[in-house]
Amino acid sequence: MKIGAIAGITFKEAKRDRVLYLLFFFAALGIGGARALAILTVGDRVKIIKDVGLASISLFGVLMAILIGTGLVYKEIDKKTIFTLLSKPLHRAEFILGKFLGLVLTLFVMTLFMSLIFLAIVYAHTLKVEGALLVAVGYIFLELVLVTAVAILFSSFSTPILSSLFALAFYLIGHLSWGLELILKKMAPGTGKSLVRFLYTVLPDLENFNFRTEVVHGLPIPPGIYLSSFLYGVCYTAFILGLAVLVFRRRDFI
Amino acid sequence: MTKTSSAKKGATTLLLIAFLMGTAAAFMALKGATDRVAREKLPGSSIIYIPSGKFLKYATFGYRAVAADAIYLWAIQYYSTPTIDDRFDHLDHIFAIINELDPRYQDPYEVGALIAVEEARNPAAAFSILDRGATNNPDQWVYPFNAGHVALMTLKDYPLAEKYFDQCMKIPGAPEFVERLRANAIFKKGDLQTSWETWLDIYKKAPDERTKKIASNHLYNVKATIDAAAVEDAAAKYRERFGRLPADLETLRRTGFLREVPKDMDGEDYLYDPATGTVKTVTSPWRR
Repeated sequence: MKIGAIAGITFKEAKRDRVLYLLFFFAALGIGGARALAILTVGDRVKIIKDVGLASISLFGVLMAILIGTGLVYKEIDKKTIFTLLSKPLHRAEFILGKFLGLVLTLFVMTLFMSLIFLAIVYAHTLKVEGALLVAVGYIFLELVLVTAVAILFSSFSTPILSSLFALAFYLIGHLSWGLELILKKMAPGTGKSLVRFLYTVLPDLENFNFRTEVVHGLPIPPGIYLSSFLYGVCYTAFILGLAVLVFRRRDFI
Repeated sequence: MTKTSSAKKGATTLLLIAFLMGTAAAFMALKGATDRVAREKLPGSSIIYIPSGKFLKYATFGYRAVAADAIYLWAIQYYSTPTIDDRFDHLDHIFAIINELDPRYQDPYEVGALIAVEEARNPAAAFSILDRGATNNPDQWVYPFNAGHVALMTLKDYPLAEKYFDQCMKIPGAPEFVERLRANAIFKKGDLQTSWETWLDIYKKAPDERTKKIASNHLYNVKATIDAAAVEDAAAKYRERFGRLPADLETLRRTGFLREVPKDMDGEDYLYDPATGTVKTVTSPWRR
């Protein structure tokens, strides 16, 4: 109940943030601009529209999660409103989870609107609603949920600028960590290889949520990966939130 | 803080740590499980979206050379990973990007061409990379030289090899042996007259005894090839008229099919095989 109340307030607060609308504007511009890019191509225009549209949803969604998420907890501390909140019978874990769910709700609404624009543009070209695109959008949203958790984790102990940089680094690492697999295959067994293997296992693999290529090209997606990727996202998010709660519990505001 | 609340806080922390360990173990196990699911890939999909170097160089904010280094390092890893079946599909495109970002960076031209020939079995890509190297570095003889070598040894395209060696020789600093390679390409092309003239020129201009000896051996070989062709032609005509091959070369001269019995450059007789109508030298041209 308390978590719901915090989430509701966070949602209202995020709704008033101009950054959100600015990013939404650019996302819409990106999705709509895909049509102009498609004109420049020779061949399949719809492919370009789908590629650029999905990339816009993903990129601007991540920016929303990072830019809003990293300020959420910090603002409460900076404006001293945290004292009022924590003086109530409210656990710090509830506060963190409330903030997280509030932002997730905001991102859900934003993703929904971006997807509607995207699907409308695709529909204007193909004259059919391509449900498969929603699979890609769904997993983009799961990625946004994880990035939100990361933004809140950093926000719980750092300034918004540093938190944004850390969260952005997390996002980049998440999309490049697959390269460690290539290095692993070339390494001789030993401590170095064990260390790289550990890093490979622990570092986020955001490519697990990337079904854009398969969806755009109509490639079959192995059914098993839906569940494992979903559970991977849920568990990683739970881990990051747990870490955020642990860090936030140890903070002394006085 | 009371003892009870302190104990409660400690228990909650322990619970939280246990939760963290549980979720960490879960996501690590799930990562392994997800990795094991084979996902379908488009040919070359991992690199298909890499833009052209012309556009990329504006996005490097002045760090063009570093970007070239990074892509080159990545390319080496990428092309030495045999599990990527379609890794050679965009080989020329990838090296074109590196070349565009840093046109004076020499290694990518040579290594790219090597990968194209030896790994990708795609001489056309090798020529494209080496031609780019020659255009961007007109003072470097090594690119037309390497291209000539690929044409001569891999493609067996002797006119193309001659063209590249000719281009190489015109660049100051090109080693003198390139002229010998060019002469060899002309010989293999079948232009025996030009080959003779080229080797003779090399012989006359030879700066040392070793080069003179090499040229001499080739001249010996060119003459033997010309003579062998004349003899074999005469033997074929003899068979046309008499229904059998001549017993020896003297018979060919006596019957007017040869003006005279040819001798090799050392004045030795050729060895004639009456069963096949062919001749060969007594000694190998390379062991004189």
